[in-house]
Amino acid sequence: MRKRAAAAAATASLSVLAIGWAVGSPAVASLQNTLGAALTDATTSAAAPAVVASTPTATATAAAAASTAASTATATPTAPATTAPAATTTGITGTFTGSVVATRFGNMQVSVTLADGTITDVTALQLTDKDSRSVQISNRAAPVLKTEVLKAQSAAVANVSGATYTTQGYLTSLQAALDAAGF
Amino acid sequence: MSLDTRARQHNARPRIHPNYPRRMRLADTLQILAVVSVALVVAVFLADGGAARISTPADAITALGIVTGLVGTDLLLVMMLLAARLPAIDRAFGHDSAMALHQSLGKPALYLILAHAVLLTIGYALVQPAGFFDEVWIMFTSLPDMPLAFLGLGLLIAVVVTSLVIVRHKFRYEVWHLVHLLSYVAVLVAIPHQLSVGTLFREGSLQRYYWLALYAGVAGSIILFRFIVPIVRSLRARLTVVGVDQEARGVVSIRLSGRQLRSLKAKSGQFFIWRFWTPGLWWQAHPFSLSAAPTHNSLRITVRGLGDASSTLPRLPVGTRVSFEGPYGLFTDFARTSPRIVLIAAGIGVAPIRSLLETATFAPGQATVLLRSSTVDDTYLVEELAALCRARGAELRIIAGKRAPGTSSWLPGDAVRARITLATLVPKLREADVYICGPRKWTDEVVRDARSAGLPTRQIHFERFDW
Repeated sequence: MRKRAAAAAATASLSVLAIGWAVGSPAVASLQNTLGAALTDATTSAAAPAVVASTPTATATAAAAASTAASTATATPTAPATTAPAATTTGITGTFTGSVVATRFGNMQVSVTLADGTITDVTALQLTDKDSRSVQISNRAAPVLKTEVLKAQSAAVANVSGATYTTQGYLTSLQAALDAAGF
Repeated sequence: MSLDTRARQHNARPRIHPNYPRRMRLADTLQILAVVSVALVVAVFLADGGAARISTPADAITALGIVTGLVGTDLLLVMMLLAARLPAIDRAFGHDSAMALHQSLGKPALYLILAHAVLLTIGYALVQPAGFFDEVWIMFTSLPDMPLAFLGLGLLIAVVVTSLVIVRHKFRYEVWHLVHLLSYVAVLVAIPHQLSVGTLFREGSLQRYYWLALYAGVAGSIILFRFIVPIVRSLRARLTVVGVDQEARGVVSIRLSGRQLRSLKAKSGQFFIWRFWTPGLWWQAHPFSLSAAPTHNSLRITVRGLGDASSTLPRLPVGTRVSFEGPYGLFTDFARTSPRIVLIAAGIGVAPIRSLLETATFAPGQATVLLRSSTVDDTYLVEELAALCRARGAELRIIAGKRAPGTSSWLPGDAVRARITLATLVPKLREADVYICGPRKWTDEVVRDARSAGLPTRQIHFERFDW
């Protein structure tokens, strides 16, 4: 390879990498923001009076933005809240059902239980079940996700490696439930 | 005397053939594209927020695993393009250099793919958490399309291992070639897991289309230039054997006749990969160089019975249909950079030298032909060479004699002792393009001699065929 060609190749490659990084860094920033905001929300919402529970239009777009990567799963919001939130002075309490999220390996739906502004339980109502492998994957990922969510107190948790679709569907549905709860 | 001459020669800039800058621009462009394609897949990973997902060591290992997989696969695709007989690649680098580059990429690509598998297994195992081999089993059974991906990895290892030079000589060419074809299978079976595991190439994303377009481009090139073009050309040319001439013991010239051969744009010094449609030979393909300048209706190759199939070629019946791939190679006048020319041949390497001598551009007195052999008797096509040299004003030298054992020179032992080198054999060597064709090791030694005489790479041309 001639020097000029090598120099041109290096310049072009570095430019391409820089562009890639520049495009990707908003994702880094937004993830960090989400994580930060989620933590702040979790701490403040307990103190704040229960926010409106009358916004049952839990849209998938908000949830998708919060999930790790822009989701391809198209969320179909269905009756988001099954249980009316019992507003207390300290925080939200009740069980809220998230939207059904369709992924290529099947539908996902979770419900979240809140007690006094704290996520105490996440129940998977529906997991990817297109085939036996999907079932295996989601059965493996669901407990991991639940633990992570309880720890983070939000839907902003890291992707479970090897179960990306499950993660996306799970967290999207969870975010819809949390939105419905006004969490 | 020699000192003065050399000093003058050093300052005199040889006239660069107009093809050379154009060819180098094409070569530069192709090389830059190849390098940028690697950067681009990494950039795609970054743009998708690949770096954003790194928050734990396990994430970092997983991300690195993804990147090694992307780069390794990109290199595999570049390798396949290099072997796809793309006309642009052949014109820029020549078949020999392209295949050398293809070979040199084989191990790095395999290592990257292996790193991809190992790193991702570790990354996943840390999250699970599970042991390494437990995780392999989990991946194998629970992730979509992973059994196929493991199959691809196994095939890739098999292909690269059989391609390593040492192993290659233990196999018949056809067996090696068949194993090599498995690399296409290896690349194909790896596609599903790239699309279904992980989100980088998720449905509907821009990068998925880019990735698939890469594959489609490579597959299209292979199908077009390795299958469709040769088949169409063979059908149109309708080549048949019109004569087999005994040149020496075990050496024959095969004369072929066909039609519309001008459209092949074949040049003296190029080779084709031939297939002779007789009951015993149709399943083998052999690379042989043109030993005479091609005309609109005839081609000629000269072959020595080295391999098991080549030894049956002398009995090739007249009228045998011949199909071919080619013409390939940059061992032609197209690669010239200098006004003078030196043609050096050993053994059956004389074939492309003979055709080059017929049509290469040079004025009388500007060409030298060096024919190297152990004894004066085992030279081929000497009468033809002598006649051509007389007609075109070239100098012919036959250098016969055994090489001294233990020395690494392309010249006979007594010549080495007399301190004879390429520079002392050929006047005004630095104003010449040197074309070398012979056995691999011998060729390397001539190339070394030419380099030490101060010839730049662009003035040294050689085409080595392995079998």
